[in-house]
Amino acid sequence: MSDAERCITCGDVAVEARVVALGPDGAEVETDAGCEVVAVDLLDAVCVGDLLLCHAGVALERLA
Amino acid sequence: MRFVDEYRDPALAASVAARIAELAPRDRTVKLMEVCGGHTHTIYRHGVQDLLPDTVELVHGPGCPVCVIPMGRVDDAIAIAERPEVIFATFGDMLRVPGGRGSLLEAKARGADVRIVYSPLDTLRLAAEHPDREVVFFAVGFETTAPSTALTLLRARERGLRNLSVFCNHVTVCPPIRTILDAPGLDLDGFIGPGHVSTVIGTRPYDFVAREYGRPLVVSGFEPLDILQSVQMLLAQLAGGRCEIENQYTRVVTAEGNRRAQEVIAQTMELRPSFEWRGLGEIPGSALALRDAFAEFDAERRFELPGALVPDPKACQCGEVLQGAIRPWECKVFGTSCTPERPMGTCMVSSEGACAAYYNYGRLGRGGRAVPA
Repeated sequence: MSDAERCITCGDVAVEARVVALGPDGAEVETDAGCEVVAVDLLDAVCVGDLLLCHAGVALERLA
Repeated sequence: MRFVDEYRDPALAASVAARIAELAPRDRTVKLMEVCGGHTHTIYRHGVQDLLPDTVELVHGPGCPVCVIPMGRVDDAIAIAERPEVIFATFGDMLRVPGGRGSLLEAKARGADVRIVYSPLDTLRLAAEHPDREVVFFAVGFETTAPSTALTLLRARERGLRNLSVFCNHVTVCPPIRTILDAPGLDLDGFIGPGHVSTVIGTRPYDFVAREYGRPLVVSGFEPLDILQSVQMLLAQLAGGRCEIENQYTRVVTAEGNRRAQEVIAQTMELRPSFEWRGLGEIPGSALALRDAFAEFDAERRFELPGALVPDPKACQCGEVLQGAIRPWECKVFGTSCTPERPMGTCMVSSEGACAAYYNYGRLGRGGRAVPA
């Protein structure tokens, strides 16, 4: 079973993604699957270059 | 990915497994329950159980938020989706889950406008692009996912959207752990605690497991080495007579969790008095509903729902699997009437359900146990 077939809620899947740009709706991040925009409302002062843990379009944590 | 190589290193795994073998009791079996579908997936996919001594048994609990949604709630979702004015947005996870009247996928085949989204935030764009339609989001998941629904509600309010609502089925992870601990006869020795849920809620909410029930819990990451290290930490506690809540997943989990995530959830949602969990019955304070302040976005208030309690099919033993009372292969319909292609119950539908995980990864090599294909 590929990772693409996994359920994000069932598997509690969160992906690590690097911030490449900041925009009005959140941060543009690069994941293994390509670029997407994630909301960063739940974190302080996100910067380009940060590595974020993202789930369902929201960054939940900045990786230590 | 940053951590994968180190956390899948076979040499490291062997070394942790050796330590586990030293710590494991010789005279009795230790039963450790994991309550996260992601952990179930890792355990089966990487054959973690095979690295453990016979006296250490991993038991799968109700950690799949899709698996525990009762059939009646799926029927409610289908009733909303079948309304001609509705665009029904859902995670792909829920598409094939069988209700009493079939699945959302079958409703889609019959003409319902059901669309897969990867984030509830995607529904904001859908609602703005289709002002003549009612966009409804099927919100499922534990506390990991609730913040994304909460942010969607807050943004919908800011943008003055009138055609967006949420059918809220978020569940919380601590009450079912308590239900499991209260169930007679399960004899669990400890828990492998959920990973990303804990990123949101922190580790403090699990204190009751040690304080009230005298069982240790270790919050774990999702790689094979994470699980093995968590098992090692649990066995060290049991061997040393300790009973604590520990955190193995320190790279993203803290004791306090994400305060802002907790705040946005509290701002938009509140605990229901009770909620029915498939296989576990009614559990108090175990699910979220939209607050009155966000009533305009509540699909349960906007649409009339059948609200029927639909009993599981008689042959379905998902409840016993979800409680860890039986293993997937012990279910009478596993692999025969119930397969991933034609699932009877949610443990087989969800790829993270114990039965699907075992069917896909675990059947070859469980002590020569033959399971029909």
